[in-house]
Amino acid sequence: MGDEPANDGKRFDPMEPWRGVRDVYMDAWAKTMVDMVNTEAYAQASGAMLDSYLTVSAPFREAIEKAMLKTLEQLAMPSRADFVSIAERMTNIEMKLDDLDARLDSIHTLLAKPGFAPRTDPRREQQPTKKTAKVKQAKRGKK
Amino acid sequence: MAETQVITDPFTDAANRLKTLTKVMTTKAAIAQTPKELVWTLNKAKLYHYIPILPKEKRHPVPLLLVFALMNRPYILDLRPGHSFVEYMLNKGYDLYLLDWGAPGPEDKNLKFDDYTLEYMPRAVRKLKAISGSKEFSLLGWCIGAILTTIYAALRGDDGLRNLILLTAPLDFSNKQGLTFARWVDERYFDVDKVLAAFGNMPGEMIDYGAKALKPVENYVGNYVKLWDNLDDPRMVESWHAMNTWVTDNVPLAGGAFRQLIVDLYRNDKLMRGELVIRGERVDLSRIRANLLTVIAEGDHITPSCQSEPIMPKVSSSDKELFRVNGGHIGIMAGSGASKHTWPHINGWLALRSK
Repeated sequence: MGDEPANDGKRFDPMEPWRGVRDVYMDAWAKTMVDMVNTEAYAQASGAMLDSYLTVSAPFREAIEKAMLKTLEQLAMPSRADFVSIAERMTNIEMKLDDLDARLDSIHTLLAKPGFAPRTDPRREQQPTKKTAKVKQAKRGKK
Repeated sequence: MAETQVITDPFTDAANRLKTLTKVMTTKAAIAQTPKELVWTLNKAKLYHYIPILPKEKRHPVPLLLVFALMNRPYILDLRPGHSFVEYMLNKGYDLYLLDWGAPGPEDKNLKFDDYTLEYMPRAVRKLKAISGSKEFSLLGWCIGAILTTIYAALRGDDGLRNLILLTAPLDFSNKQGLTFARWVDERYFDVDKVLAAFGNMPGEMIDYGAKALKPVENYVGNYVKLWDNLDDPRMVESWHAMNTWVTDNVPLAGGAFRQLIVDLYRNDKLMRGELVIRGERVDLSRIRANLLTVIAEGDHITPSCQSEPIMPKVSSSDKELFRVNGGHIGIMAGSGASKHTWPHINGWLALRSK
């Protein structure tokens, strides 16, 4: 009975009319709420609530922070401020590394350009003169 | 036997529905499944390169960088297999990069738009260029990401930016009566310094509350009623699950950036008035010369069209288009109609300009 298919192939759902009523009610409710949150009064009230929360909780927050700081100090452990400082320094180092990476990239790009002749190191490429060759020979002889 | 069947069926149905409901409400959906590689990091920011699907000769030569908002996860762009903007664009032959801002920690409370647009973005763009080998690129910014990309385009327009796509971009804050957020953060009611003194960064939960409170019944009740009504529809459940996973994954907004958003933009509308100064440089929108596509969601309650439209006459781009699409702030890119309307339009526009 209850699960017999209706003409359109769907099962009869006794909740369908209720759902229709619910949707109409929810639409109306939604519109009312959207209008309400758009008012100055709502902005003022939500601002006041947030402000009171922050004012009331501030002394507790400060007390907890101080107590935690003391405890960590007693235990010879780093505080949040110490970690924050290290993290900031790490970011600075990362930026420096990124700058180096950028320079390396530009060097690679230059090297990869067709027709780019790398400047040779004169010390490496210098052919030994007669004088230096003699000195080297003498050194080998001593050994 | 038949009578037993009639009695047990509703119970089995109810049991199955509850099982599905519990699963959906207590687990995270498998999202952001498109293969990608991490190519660059700086602090919490990460640049991902999606593994291309098409061979190089079939791909567009100009890479595309996606920049999402600071206070939400960017995987909304790659929500789930079969329904992902990233997947769609890869199939259309784009070389795709995603800039993920990450979640700021207490050490990042002083990060501002200045840092995001002039430290992070140029470096990410440099890396993108180095990897792709292209001197030009396209930029897609969504929501707060669109603010960042607009500032970047105005300040670093000569950096090879060819195409700029702005999705639901909150740029103009002059219409105070039309913006609920502007009313809430009015200096008479909202003390931004007191909030940031207490939290450092703006907590993700508070931002989430703000976004949801714009339409409280839809977000806090209707959303779950919709799920309950469709628990028998696996496709609908899968979609809801993925979206809920994203919606509940909130990220704090760095304190400095939040202060700029409220004071400089919501209260003083500095960007549109040409008074916004980033690291000593005035952000002049007329310096934007890249091809511009602005996408507006007609049903957007977070960024109404009056916030996105006014940029059009301000920029110097000779090639610009305003595209309106039915849907909400997120729905236009992640909703069921996105693959039929928004994505094909973006692809059609960008493909012509990525040759």
